[in-house]
Amino acid sequence: MRFWLVLTIGCAGLAQEPLLPLLGKQCGACHTGKQAMGGLSMDSIEALKQGGKHGPALRPGVSAESLLLRYVTGEKTPRMPLGGELDAKAVAELRAAIDSMPKGESLSKRDAHFEWLLKKPGAVVAPVVNQRSWVRNPIDAFVLAGLEKQGMKPASEASRRVLLRRIYFDLTGVPPSPEEMRKFEADADPLAYEKAIDRLLADPRYGERWGRHWPDLVRYAESDGFAIDGERPTAWRYRDYVIRSHNEDKPYNVFVQEQLAGDEGPSRNLVALGFYRFAPWEADANSKKQLRQDFLNDVTGTVGSVFLGMTTGCAQCHDHKYDPIPHKDYYRLQAFFAGTAIADLPVDFNEAERPKEMRRRFREHEDAAELGQAQADRQKEALKLRYMSSMKVAKDDEGLKKFLGQLNTRNLFFLEQDLPLAKEPEWREPIRVYFETRDGVQRERELARRHQALAYSIRDVSPPAAPEVPETYVLSGGDLNARGEKVKAGFLSCVAGNEPAEIPFAGGSNGLRLALSDWVASEKNPFTARVMVNRIWQRHWGEGLVRTPSDFGKNGDVPSHPELLDWMANEFVAKGWSMKAMHRLMLSSATYRQASINAEQKDYAAKDPTNRLLWRMNWQRLDAEVLRDSILSIGGRLNLEMGGPPVLFSVPDDVAQGFEFFKWFPSSEEQQRRRSIYLIQRRSVLLPMAETFDAPNLSTSCARRLTTIVAPQALTLLNGTLTRTEAKHFEARLAGAKDAIGEAFWLVLGRGPTADERRMSEKLSLASLGVVLFNLNEFLYVE
Amino acid sequence: MNRRQFTFGLSAAALSHLEAGTHHAAKADACIFLAMLGGVSQIDTFDPKPKLVDLDGKIMDWSKEKKTDQPNLFAKPRKFVASPFKFQKYGQSGREVSELLPHTAKMVDELAVCRSVQSDNGNHPAAVFQMNTGFIIPGNPSMGAWVTYGLGTGNQNLPAFVAMPDFRSIPFSGAQQWGSGYLPAEFQGTVLRATSEPIRDLASPGNVAPEAIKAEREALRGMNGSFAALRADYPDLRARMDSYELAYRMQLEVPRVLSIEAEPEQVKEAYGLNDPVTASFGRRCLMARKLVEAGVRFVEIFTPSQSWDAHGDIRKNHEKNARETDKPIAALLADLKQRGMLKKTLVVYMGEFGRTPDTPAEQKTPGRDHNTRCQSMWFAGGGMKGGSTIGTTDEIGHKAVENVYHMHDVHATILNQMGLSDMRLTYYFGGRNRRLTDLGGRLIQELIG
Repeated sequence: MRFWLVLTIGCAGLAQEPLLPLLGKQCGACHTGKQAMGGLSMDSIEALKQGGKHGPALRPGVSAESLLLRYVTGEKTPRMPLGGELDAKAVAELRAAIDSMPKGESLSKRDAHFEWLLKKPGAVVAPVVNQRSWVRNPIDAFVLAGLEKQGMKPASEASRRVLLRRIYFDLTGVPPSPEEMRKFEADADPLAYEKAIDRLLADPRYGERWGRHWPDLVRYAESDGFAIDGERPTAWRYRDYVIRSHNEDKPYNVFVQEQLAGDEGPSRNLVALGFYRFAPWEADANSKKQLRQDFLNDVTGTVGSVFLGMTTGCAQCHDHKYDPIPHKDYYRLQAFFAGTAIADLPVDFNEAERPKEMRRRFREHEDAAELGQAQADRQKEALKLRYMSSMKVAKDDEGLKKFLGQLNTRNLFFLEQDLPLAKEPEWREPIRVYFETRDGVQRERELARRHQALAYSIRDVSPPAAPEVPETYVLSGGDLNARGEKVKAGFLSCVAGNEPAEIPFAGGSNGLRLALSDWVASEKNPFTARVMVNRIWQRHWGEGLVRTPSDFGKNGDVPSHPELLDWMANEFVAKGWSMKAMHRLMLSSATYRQASINAEQKDYAAKDPTNRLLWRMNWQRLDAEVLRDSILSIGGRLNLEMGGPPVLFSVPDDVAQGFEFFKWFPSSEEQQRRRSIYLIQRRSVLLPMAETFDAPNLSTSCARRLTTIVAPQALTLLNGTLTRTEAKHFEARLAGAKDAIGEAFWLVLGRGPTADERRMSEKLSLASLGVVLFNLNEFLYVE
Repeated sequence: MNRRQFTFGLSAAALSHLEAGTHHAAKADACIFLAMLGGVSQIDTFDPKPKLVDLDGKIMDWSKEKKTDQPNLFAKPRKFVASPFKFQKYGQSGREVSELLPHTAKMVDELAVCRSVQSDNGNHPAAVFQMNTGFIIPGNPSMGAWVTYGLGTGNQNLPAFVAMPDFRSIPFSGAQQWGSGYLPAEFQGTVLRATSEPIRDLASPGNVAPEAIKAEREALRGMNGSFAALRADYPDLRARMDSYELAYRMQLEVPRVLSIEAEPEQVKEAYGLNDPVTASFGRRCLMARKLVEAGVRFVEIFTPSQSWDAHGDIRKNHEKNARETDKPIAALLADLKQRGMLKKTLVVYMGEFGRTPDTPAEQKTPGRDHNTRCQSMWFAGGGMKGGSTIGTTDEIGHKAVENVYHMHDVHATILNQMGLSDMRLTYYFGGRNRRLTDLGGRLIQELIG
C-alpha cells in the first residue's frame, strides 16, 4: 500500500484551497519533491497543474479531464493510490473540489511533436546558408543551417586515412589493407573517395556488415530460448536472405513486404517470413493458447517498433500512456496476424544457396548418421553381451534393463556418477567408444537437419486451409480470459482513422498481411521511410537524428533535424527505397567527412555536449563482430566463405557438457575463422566475446547497441584465445618483412609508427606487439 | 555508500541514467541468493502438514481446479503423499524444520521464513526466469543486475555482481539468468568458477614470459596515453585506459580473495570442503562469504538445473540435494554471524516454485510435482527478523491462504533491504519505465526487523 502525501510543508498559502485537505490524507512519499514518482509532485496546486510525465494532473474546473481524478477512479491504470482505493465519498469530494475551481486555459493541446510525426513529410527545401562552399549535398545545408544559427562552424575534413578507415568499418566491417591505404592516400583523382564508396558498396562484405544490423532489430536467433532452447536448424536461410538483399540493394519497401507477406504479395519469398518467428518460443509451454497469444503479442509489438518506430507493444494491456495508440488499436493491428500459423515449409534452395552442395551435404550427413547408428547399435549390443556374461544374467534381467537405460545418459560424467561400473578399466573404454559413436550420430543428424530444404516460416490458417480466420478480440489487461469487443484488422487510428482496412484478394490466402504490408511498406504511412532513414544515419554517425530509433513517440527523442529527416525520407522514396543510394548520399556529405575534433571544441562542447548539431564526427567503438572479424583479418586468417549453415564456436568443456537438452559440437577450426555473422546465434550459448562487447541478448529487439567499458573487455582482449592466437599468426605474417614494426602498424592502424611508438615496440616480440596493437584505443575506436 | 561508484564499469550511456544511489538507508550492503533450482518441497522442509499422514495414499480430486501447473500430470488420478521426513522444533523460536535439513535447522533462529510465496508459471524455464528477473519471459535484467544498476559497486577490484552456477548442469538459458537484459552490459553478473581460472581470461597466458607481459602493459599504457592526450575531450578513451588498470588489479586481487586453500582447516571442514558430496556447493558458499567481505554486492549461487525437481522420488531426490547444500548453507550463516557480517548481509534461499502434496496415482515411488501456489523460502540477516515465520497454507499444503505473497514481493523486499525502492528503481526501455517488480511489489513487512 502506498500512501498519499501529507501536505504539511510549505503550503501556508495553499491551506485555503478546498482541494488540499483531501489530498492531505495519506499521501506518502511517492509524489513529493524532486524525485516524485512519475515526475508528479503534489507539493502545490501549481505542481499539480504542471503535472508529471503523463501530463498535467489537474485541470481546474474540469474534473473529467483531470488525470488526478481519472487515476483515483481507476479510469486510468494503475489505479491510484497504488494497491489501495479511495472510498466513494473521498472521490466525490475531490471531484467537487476540482469542479469548483475557476477554469483555466485549455491544457489538452496535442503535443507539437505529434503534429510533425503524424503528418507525412511534405516538400522540404534545403535552407540557405552562408558558408556555401562547405556544402557538398543538401544534407550539409540542413546541418550547417543549424550550426550557423548557433554561430558554430563545422570541423575540418578528416584526413584521407581516417576517411578510408571510417568507410571500411562502416560498410564492410574490416579495416583496409596497407596496400589499399597507401594507394588511396596517393590517389590524385578528386573523386577517389566517392569511387572508394562505390567499390565498397559493391563488395559482398557490405551485405555481411549491414546484414548484421537487421537481425539485431528483428530479435533474430537460431534457437528457441527457454529450457529446451531447441535449434532452428534452417533459420540461417533468413540470415543469408538478409545479406543477399543488402548486397543486391533490394528496395527497402520490397524487403519489408517480403517479410510481412512474402506468401501473398507481389514479391514472393517464404524464407523472409521467418521474420514473424524469431522471438523466444517456449516449446513445452503448458498453455498452447497462451503460447499463441504470446506469439501474436510479439509480432504486434515488433512490427510497430521495427518498421513504424512506434511502441505499439505498450498498448497491449491499456491505452498507450503517451502516444495516441488506443488499447483497441493494438488488437486491430493484431487482427492482421489472426490467420497466421507457424510452419516449416519445404522451399527449394535457390542458386545463391548452392543447391547442389546443400543436397550433397544433406545426403552425406544422413548417410553418416545411418552408418554411425548401425555401428552404435553393434557397440551397444556388445556391451549388453559383456554385461550378461560378466554378471551372469539372462536377457530379461532387471539390472540389465537398467544398465541399458543408463547408456542413454547424456554424458560420461553423469553416467559415472550413477553407474560405478563405468569407472572400471575394462568397461571404461568400450563405454567411451560407444558414447563417442552415439554422439557422432547425433552430430551428423544435426548437420543433416541444417541442410534440409526447409524454410523457417509461417502459413495461413484461413481459407482454403481452414474454414475461417479466427476472430480477434480486445483483451482487457492483455488477459486471454478477459475478452472484450470484437475487432477487425485496421491500421493505427492516429493516422489512418478507425475504419477497418480493406483486405485485397490474395489468391488462396486471406490477404490480411498483404493489406498490412501494402500500408507499412509504402509512403501511405508517415513513419516507415523516416524510421529507416534514421536507422541508416544512426549506423553511420553512431547516433540517429532521433536517438531512440525504435521509438519516435512522445517518450522517444525529439529529432535534432526534423527537416533533414523529412528531406531524406522523401529522397529515400524518390530513389526507389534504395539503401545504397542513401549510403552514397550520407557518406559523400561534408557532414560525414568531418574530423572527430573541432578547432572550437571547448566552446562547442559546452554549448552542445552531445554533438546533436553535428559540429564534428562522432567517435564510434567497433561492434563486437567487427572487432573479432578485424583481428582475424589482420592476422590474415579471416575465412571469407559466404553463407550456409551456422558455425559453432568452441566453448569450455564443462559448458559444452552442461546442457541438458542438446550437445555442443564445435565446427572445424577453419570454419570458426569465418565472419561473425555466420556464428550460431544460440540463445543459451552466446559467444563470450560478443557478450562482453555489448552484442544483443538475442531475446528482444535491439535498436541501438550500448558501448560499455568494463574490465572483462580488457581481460578478453589481453588474455583471450582470439587475441593470443591471432597475434601469433600476425607475427608469422610479418616474418621476413623489411620493416616488421612499420608493417605491423600499417596492418592494424593503416599508418606507420611514430618515433616514440617505434621505440616502445622494439622492446616487444612481434606477437606481443600484435597484442598491444589489438588493444589500442586507436584500433577499438573509429575516429 | 550513498552514491554509485563506477569502477568496475564506466560508460557515458549508463551514467546518463544514474539516479542518486540508495533511496533510503540500507539494512544490507550485500545479498547472497541461494537458488535452489528445480523447486524445493515446502511440505518436506519448513511447512509440516500432519493432515497428509491421514490422507496418505488417498485419491485427490482435481476436477474443480481450472488451471493446474502441469495439465498432463494433473489429468490423471493422483494420490496424496505424506512427508517421509520427521519434523522437530528447533532453536529458541521453536520453529519446525524437517530432518531433511539438520544443519539449517540449527540456525533457525536466524531465519525469517515465508511459507506463502506464489509465482506465475509452473514450467521450470519460465519460473526460473521469474525468480531471477521478475518476468516469465527472457530478455529482462536479473535482480543482481538491478541491484548493481541501483547501487553501483562497493569495491575497487572485483565485479559487483557474481554468479556461480553449477557446471554439472547450468541454469536454463545460461547467462541470461544473470544477464543485464536491456540494462547496459556493465551490470551483468560475472561468472566465477570454482576452478584455477575463476574468471574467464583472468590470467595472463601461461606460455608468455612475465617480463613480456609487463612490457606489453607498459607499451599499451604509453601508446594509449599519447593518443588520449591529443583527444582529451573524449572521456571514453581515458575510461577505457582505467578499465585496463582495473583489469590488472583484478588479476592480482581475485586469486587472493578466492584463495580457499589458505583458509583454516576447521573452516574448510565446516563448509564441507573435505567431503565430495558437499564440496562443490560448500566451496561456492565460502567464496561467497569472501566476496561479500571484499565488497561484492550480489552473489548468486545455483544448484544444478532442475536438481530439486522431485517428480520421481521425493525422498531420494531431496535427500541427495539436501546433503549437497544443507551443511554448507548452515556453515555460511554461522560464519557470517561469527564475523559480524550477517547483520549487513541478506541471505535468501528459494527455488522457482514449491511442490504438490500429491503424486500421480500410478507412481510406485511417490514424488511431488510443480506448485506455483505456495513455496517456503527464507531470508536471513540483512535486517530481517530472525526466528519469525509468516504465511499459512491450507491443511494439505497445496495453496497459500493467509498472508499470500508473490515473487515480486520477494524482489521488492530484497531491494528494500538494500536501500532501494522497487517502484523508483526504473530504467526506460521499449517505450516505458521498466522495473524488476513490473507494476510494483509489496514488502513482506512481517519479516522485516
